[in-house]
Amino acid sequence: MRDGSKRSPRARIFAWLARRDRLRAWALLAPGTSWLVAFFVIPVVIVGGYSVMERGLYGGVEAGFTLEPYGRFFDPLYLTILARTLWLAALTTILCLVVGYPMAWAIAAAGRWKHALLFLVVLPFWTSFLVRTYAIMFLLRDTGLVNSVLMTAGMIDRPLTLLYTPGAVLAGLVYGYLPFMVLPVYASLEKLDPALLEAAESLGARPFARFVRVILPLSLPGVVAGSLLVFIPSLGAFLTPDLLGGAKQVMIGNLIQQQFGAARDWPFGSAASFILMALVLAVVYMFLRRGAALPEEV
Amino acid sequence: MRFSGVRKVFGSTVAVDRVSFDVHAGEFFSILGPSGCGKTTTLRLLAGFERPDEGEILLGGERIDGRPPWERPLAMVFQSYALFPHLSVARNVAFGLERRKLPREAIADRVRAALELVRLDPATFADRSTRQLSGGQRQRVALARALVLEPPVLLLDEPLGALDRKLRKEMQGELRSLNRELGMTFVYVTHDQEEALTMSDRVAVMADARIAQIGAPVEVYERPRTAFVAGFLGEANVFDTEGGHRVAVRPERMELLRPGVSVSTARTARSGEVLDLVYLGDRTHAVVRLESGADIRVAIGRGGAIGVEGARWKRGDRAIVVWPTADAHPLEDG
Repeated sequence: MRDGSKRSPRARIFAWLARRDRLRAWALLAPGTSWLVAFFVIPVVIVGGYSVMERGLYGGVEAGFTLEPYGRFFDPLYLTILARTLWLAALTTILCLVVGYPMAWAIAAAGRWKHALLFLVVLPFWTSFLVRTYAIMFLLRDTGLVNSVLMTAGMIDRPLTLLYTPGAVLAGLVYGYLPFMVLPVYASLEKLDPALLEAAESLGARPFARFVRVILPLSLPGVVAGSLLVFIPSLGAFLTPDLLGGAKQVMIGNLIQQQFGAARDWPFGSAASFILMALVLAVVYMFLRRGAALPEEV
Repeated sequence: MRFSGVRKVFGSTVAVDRVSFDVHAGEFFSILGPSGCGKTTTLRLLAGFERPDEGEILLGGERIDGRPPWERPLAMVFQSYALFPHLSVARNVAFGLERRKLPREAIADRVRAALELVRLDPATFADRSTRQLSGGQRQRVALARALVLEPPVLLLDEPLGALDRKLRKEMQGELRSLNRELGMTFVYVTHDQEEALTMSDRVAVMADARIAQIGAPVEVYERPRTAFVAGFLGEANVFDTEGGHRVAVRPERMELLRPGVSVSTARTARSGEVLDLVYLGDRTHAVVRLESGADIRVAIGRGGAIGVEGARWKRGDRAIVVWPTADAHPLEDG
């Protein structure tokens, strides 16, 4: 009797799949691909379509074609919002790098405490970002902890305005995205062969040269990854600027949210979304090109 | 260079226990020992990656044990080569010179010369990534990177360990001639006794964090001071004499004779039985069980008569093992 006839239909299907590599690859990709097509590609196409249609009176869109929403974005009011967004996102990235790099280095060098420290880095994710942002509000508001302490200590007479400032937004963003910088930088530092550092030292490199010439270039992939993971969500942030920045520190994410909500201007909201997306793509492209080119240049 | 009473402890393990030795200028000095004997720690103490808990390290009469690695006039070749993966071959070799802020042209000239010295064609290899190199080529780049600095002392940590046997032989010869040509002091750490014997002016045999014996290869091989040294360098028969002394005799100093042959008074003779014959290519070892119960190895059939000589003996033969009494070296404990 032939061996195949004894096997279950399921086993036969799997055996058939295993013999066809390309088909197997498709089978593995199918669930993820369908998910992305359904919930990413199609919505993006819809938003793209909305961005060139006429505005409906009570939200939504009406048939027609216009580039007016894109034109409107170049109003100084919106360009200021865009500039503020870029500035805050860039500053957030730089601060995350300045704070996160030494932290990642310390964790990579921590020996048996490594895992405990990594656990602490991701611990904030156990609570909702919203709750944590509210907690920062309680810290920074006029009657908050910082002002109370300073007043009690007699260092100030009147409460300082901390909340609803660019500084508050920046603090919130850096706090929120710091783990996304620490983790990839840690991963690249952890892989660093200690013999390379010793080689640098024995070749006459002082700690500073050792860092600039060996450690930094070799951890650059982690720095690039971390910077992208911080910069991109910072560009689109709306919760942090909304809660900590108030009406004065509007970022592009808040603008988009307003257009789909209170302002009922879906085409403009869609256009702003596309402009943000174009910006993100441009930045990613720039970063990846720099990142790929660097090892040869250094 | 002088190592004086140096001790290094990691936790509860003593890695280097009050070790003292001198290395003369221009010498090829090897530190030989099994893994975990403290030889690598000794080298790392020299390089400055570890600080001694006790003792002094001097270079040219000056204490260097308090100095950081980048202030020591030494260069090191690492076991793993430790080439910088983000730099080209030329930039790897230039690394140390760049730290010394030499002018660009001078750096380029010396890098080229260093690559030529280790027999890598600069035109072919200078701009290559270190990832594109074979093990032997990496080894040469690592060597060039250290030599280019013209350090008075070059430290080498089992640099040939990752190479295949043929390449290792070739590099041994090249290292030896580099040492002679450049007049640089080489401190070479290895666990390979053959490597240490063939390349070195002097060998320090280490065991259990201490130095068991220091001397020229001939000295440590022919007159081992302890059973450990005798057994670690080549093969040795270690047994107790009637006087209660412990002695070592090399298999190649011994001779195997038929019973009944008369033996001169300058020679010691023991009778026994051939247990086994071990063919080793360039010689054959007869394993003989003496009447005292000790098993010893005797080299037979040297000088091209291996097959013939080997065939003359078979298992179970009665035999007399004979050696010049002067070749039995009394051993110290340890």
